[in-house]
Amino acid sequence: MWNRLILSALAVVVAMLALSPVACGRRPAHPGTAPDISGVWLVEKFQPRLFPNGGAPFTPWAETKFKATNPQTDDPNLACLPEGLPRFMIAVPYPMEIFQAPTRVVIIHEGPQAVRQIYMNRQHLKDLDPTYAGDSIGKWEGDTLVVDTIGFNDKTWIDGALPHSEAMHLVERIRRIDHNTLVDDITIEDPIAYTRPLTAQEVYKLKPSWEIQEYVCAENNKYHYQRK
Amino acid sequence: MRNRLVALPVTAVLLLLFLGGTTFAHHGFVSWFDMSRTVTVKGTVTSFDWTNPHSYIYLDVKNEKGAIEKWSAELGAPAMLARAGWRRDILKSGDEITAIGNPAKDGKPTMHLDKIVFANGQELSTAL
Repeated sequence: MWNRLILSALAVVVAMLALSPVACGRRPAHPGTAPDISGVWLVEKFQPRLFPNGGAPFTPWAETKFKATNPQTDDPNLACLPEGLPRFMIAVPYPMEIFQAPTRVVIIHEGPQAVRQIYMNRQHLKDLDPTYAGDSIGKWEGDTLVVDTIGFNDKTWIDGALPHSEAMHLVERIRRIDHNTLVDDITIEDPIAYTRPLTAQEVYKLKPSWEIQEYVCAENNKYHYQRK
Repeated sequence: MRNRLVALPVTAVLLLLFLGGTTFAHHGFVSWFDMSRTVTVKGTVTSFDWTNPHSYIYLDVKNEKGAIEKWSAELGAPAMLARAGWRRDILKSGDEITAIGNPAKDGKPTMHLDKIVFANGQELSTAL
């Protein structure tokens, strides 16, 4: 299923790029307003846990949920389910490739073999069906891509341990601070699960000679997942 | 078994991590392996599984009584290993190697591999 998904996504990306000003040999319509963040990027520091020493500001709801789970058996990712967001961006130690078009930023991640789409030309859709990746919309503020995401299901974890609710709301500020470095500052709001917003930062390094490779999570997965 | 298993001090672990760069794996390995400790075993390769989402080296390790202990070492996916210089045919059954990594928290004979040392002393790390 994932292979078909990836192929479909690649077809979309190819079509987008074919129609983009860059592919036509032209500069973007508004030079300087849409910095180039395309390329293959790898997290500089793998962050499996946002709170490795504890101290997450849980609400009673989230604390109960957290204490009822065992990362050795209950992590949804053990079953090769999608990491979802923000884990897709901060706790996946495999490269991602960013494609840009005027109406869309598309990220293909090698590890999850998943596609993230950030819509640049619309508001959030009404009556969103909860999904693993939610609904991401973006806009450029100077050199920063500001991405707002809602519409999550509660089947994923924020990192390798932290639960969240369907009310989770992410705001990301993504900017390329130099040619080889991309930074994503993430604010995670979830009033059902946390008493204050959580913040995370991920730094990515450009891997110009890399290409996204095949990764098949279910091939020889020896980890046991205790579905609850 | 103790003379086959060398527990290094935490400082050595930190030095190894500092020098070795970032080791990449997937499935919540920090939940399964004790990343603050290092274990070293020397043994004979019985198989090398070049598979997703993790590759595995299986080793026969002789303990102090001469009995064989079946060890396994977990690595990352082939795509990441290839970027670190590994190849699917880099190990074969019968190869004598030393495997160094983080031991399982539950005491089972398995590790999250940091590097191997071939019989000729050549080292190969999983870090990029």
